[in-house]
Amino acid sequence: MKYDFLDSGLLARLGAIPLETRVPMLGNVAGKHRSPHRGSSVEFAEYRKYVAGDDTRRLDWKAFARSDRFYIKEFEADTNLRAYFVVDASGSMKFAGQGEAKISYANRIAASLAYLLVNQGDAAGLSVCTEKLHLEIPPSRRPAHLQHIFDTLGKLEPAGETGLIPALHTIAEKIGQRALVVILSDLFTDPQAFSDALQHLRYRKHDICVFHLMDPQELGFQFDRPHRFVDMEDGTSLVVEPTLIADEYQSALRDFLTAVKNKCHDAAADYQLVPTDTPLEPLLRDFLTARLPKKGHS
Amino acid sequence: MSFLQPLLLWGLLAASIPIIIHLLNRRRHKTVMWAAMQFLLKATRESRGKKRLRHILILTCRALGVAALATAAARPLISGVLGWGGGQPDLVVLILDRSASMEATPKGGTIPRRELALERIRGALADLDGTRLVLIDSASGEPQDVPSPDVLDRISSTAATDTGADISTLGARAAEFLLETPGRAEVWIASDLQATNWQPDNDRWASVRASLAGLPQPPKLRVLMLGGEAATNQSIRLLSSRRSGDQLVLDIEIARGEDSAEILSLPLTVTLNGVRSTSNVTVAGQNYRFRKSLPIPPNEETGYGWLSIPGDGNLRDNAAFFAYGPARPVKSLLVAPPGEAADYLTIAAAPGGKDQRGVERVDPAQLGQLDTDGIAAIFWAAPLPAGETAEALERFLGDGGDLVLFAPREESTAEFLGIRWSAVQESDADTFFILDSWDHDDGLLRDGLDGTPIPADRMKAVKRRLPEGEAAILARWDDGKPFLVRRVMDRGTAWFVGSQPDYTWSNLADADVLLPVTQRSIADGAERFDAGYLATLGSRAAQPRAGEARSRLDDYGAPASANEPYEAGIHRFGERILALNRPAGEDDLEILSRERLNDVLDGTGFTLLEDRGTSANDQVSRDVWRGFLIAMLCFLVAEALLCLPKKQPAGTFESRPSNA
Repeated sequence: MKYDFLDSGLLARLGAIPLETRVPMLGNVAGKHRSPHRGSSVEFAEYRKYVAGDDTRRLDWKAFARSDRFYIKEFEADTNLRAYFVVDASGSMKFAGQGEAKISYANRIAASLAYLLVNQGDAAGLSVCTEKLHLEIPPSRRPAHLQHIFDTLGKLEPAGETGLIPALHTIAEKIGQRALVVILSDLFTDPQAFSDALQHLRYRKHDICVFHLMDPQELGFQFDRPHRFVDMEDGTSLVVEPTLIADEYQSALRDFLTAVKNKCHDAAADYQLVPTDTPLEPLLRDFLTARLPKKGHS
Repeated sequence: MSFLQPLLLWGLLAASIPIIIHLLNRRRHKTVMWAAMQFLLKATRESRGKKRLRHILILTCRALGVAALATAAARPLISGVLGWGGGQPDLVVLILDRSASMEATPKGGTIPRRELALERIRGALADLDGTRLVLIDSASGEPQDVPSPDVLDRISSTAATDTGADISTLGARAAEFLLETPGRAEVWIASDLQATNWQPDNDRWASVRASLAGLPQPPKLRVLMLGGEAATNQSIRLLSSRRSGDQLVLDIEIARGEDSAEILSLPLTVTLNGVRSTSNVTVAGQNYRFRKSLPIPPNEETGYGWLSIPGDGNLRDNAAFFAYGPARPVKSLLVAPPGEAADYLTIAAAPGGKDQRGVERVDPAQLGQLDTDGIAAIFWAAPLPAGETAEALERFLGDGGDLVLFAPREESTAEFLGIRWSAVQESDADTFFILDSWDHDDGLLRDGLDGTPIPADRMKAVKRRLPEGEAAILARWDDGKPFLVRRVMDRGTAWFVGSQPDYTWSNLADADVLLPVTQRSIADGAERFDAGYLATLGSRAAQPRAGEARSRLDDYGAPASANEPYEAGIHRFGERILALNRPAGEDDLEILSRERLNDVLDGTGFTLLEDRGTSANDQVSRDVWRGFLIAMLCFLVAEALLCLPKKQPAGTFESRPSNA
């Protein structure tokens, strides 16, 4: 495989676990995911009273015989899943402290999940956002489409300030039907604006997953001597004595992470803080497993 | 504070090392590209309070720790004679005030000031290894090397004396010594700052200051004053002693050190020729003067004795010594033309009942060679002397005689001792020249020993002559013109009285003024005969004449043979017996104020240490390097505590997925 962000062994091992959605999807073809509409699958949904105009072929004659009333027997409709991978390509995603660069890690997640989705018959699309660029590849279930996604990911050069918030609003507006929106970002933006964007997506009934990527050095902030810190997005610099401000830094970071997590929670989004030194396989396995329907649930 | 190793104070520069390291660290920063800038900015904003202060405190503790170590290495001494600054001198010239007042013990203490000073100085010098110590004591005034500070309190040159002290002379002596002994020197003066010893108005101080400032290496001057307030003390002093027939008349003064109005009853012990008797004296007020007449035992034409009061705050001022010789008549000479004035003066000079008094009258018109031998006082109611007569009178004055010159009737322009008589002035009709003011403490019109004033205000005159010239005025007429003036010449005194004991001139002949004037003059003049038995320590009269051997006769106190010349007592010089007493100035309680001391030692950059400690164990200087080491330790511990990391809240970041 020519894409270094793809691990064939990993994909083979994770292929057995389907990627499920937490909300019913509206697909254009039949698939393995629940649909909000009643359909013709083998999965019984409910009985309802016959009303004029209903297809008489769907009458449950046995129920009529028992109760002398007309009931229509409804079944779940299965449809396919459309997923959008929103990758933040701002300058901050280029940061690689003690682990790999956040953008590289985001690429690996996006590529792996896209592969798994297409492989299970669902559609995967890509949205790359920076301050000045919003590149969008519509979802498709064709395997050839994957190459297009991989090529785009492979050529990503993070730069400038983040354009994540406008990009999420655009996606919320543009996608007509329910979809899985996977956000891969360090979320260095205003938590309230991010929350608004999540609420927008949620209003459109999308299933949202947030992979919050942070470098271990950003989380730990362990420096033993004065440093000049240069902002990777706008180039401003600051000379500080890290030991002097370590506590305040940790406090500010903690406040930020708590705020982001709460915002995701409010928008019913899956939130996962991912230090970039986390092995990918257990991360994705846990992710996929956590989304499997619970026993006893339809 | 001073330092035994001041060079090591350069180590204080090391205190800047932590700061320099901090500044270098700030300059040697690494540049990193950083993504989470928003937290950094927020943290930087929030850390400008306590954290910054904490960091400054850490840096300060480090710097102070190093500074304390450097200071400890320099071996600091505090609160000492050594004071601030300087370093170890090559030479210390110690001017020690050994006057009688230095034997006063401070309030609450038992050790005299002199001994306290020696203890303090000994302690201070113990820290100055290798420094030469030269002592100039106030009694001998001679510089002498002291081999070791340890013997300072054991050598006779630092022992107690009954002498006075002239600090300005000692200062000049120290300057002379330092001129011959170049090097880095310090002059230490240990004194109780008694004004009579320092004589702040003495012109010699100007030359002392100039001498010290003119030295190649001007010495550091330190004044050590010890003990603070003095303990309760009474002193006894013999004002005069004269023989009057078979009586010895002693004028005595008892002074109290404390300012108290309480009446004090003191046992006064009189020891006369080995016979001791005690009587009680009631002292009211600060000073009590009284006269005591002692009957001289038959067949003891010469003798000696002393008056003593119980031991108190100063053991050196509790005795007054006297001696006496065979009785001799007191003769006076009257030079006046026959007349009323001469008659009254004759009666006043030798009143009946005064067996030993005799007066010889001489008419100035028949005055030939003036024989003043054995004459106590001369009364001169004639034109001022000139020529050989004047010279004879000046010799008489030089020998300690007393001369009273009354305004003469005869007009004359003669001048004697720079004084001449004005023309005769007559008062207006029905008015008088009235004696208006006079000195109640000094002069022939002074108040009596018991404080009774002479009724000089009764004196009126219709004629007068004013003494003109430079002289001390002791009494004035009501128009401010002088009536009585004084010229002191060597040991004698000349008095000029601006009227005559003649009722055509004034009522001066009334006994209530003329009698005390003449008798006091005779007594003053006769003192030199009795003075052969009395002398003040430190005076020329207290020195043995050539060929005379000295020995001490009395056993009062604890006489020390090595210190004999400086101790009060009864001394035998060859065939003579002399009672030596401490100078009157030693009983003067006035202490030099800080302002006056500043004036006296102006420009010398002196330091004054007022040590109020009363114990010999109080160290005048303390080696405090241990304190600085402890301080260093405290700074380092504080730094370590401040550097301790804060406890981080557990479970800060959670990377597990959170399902909405």
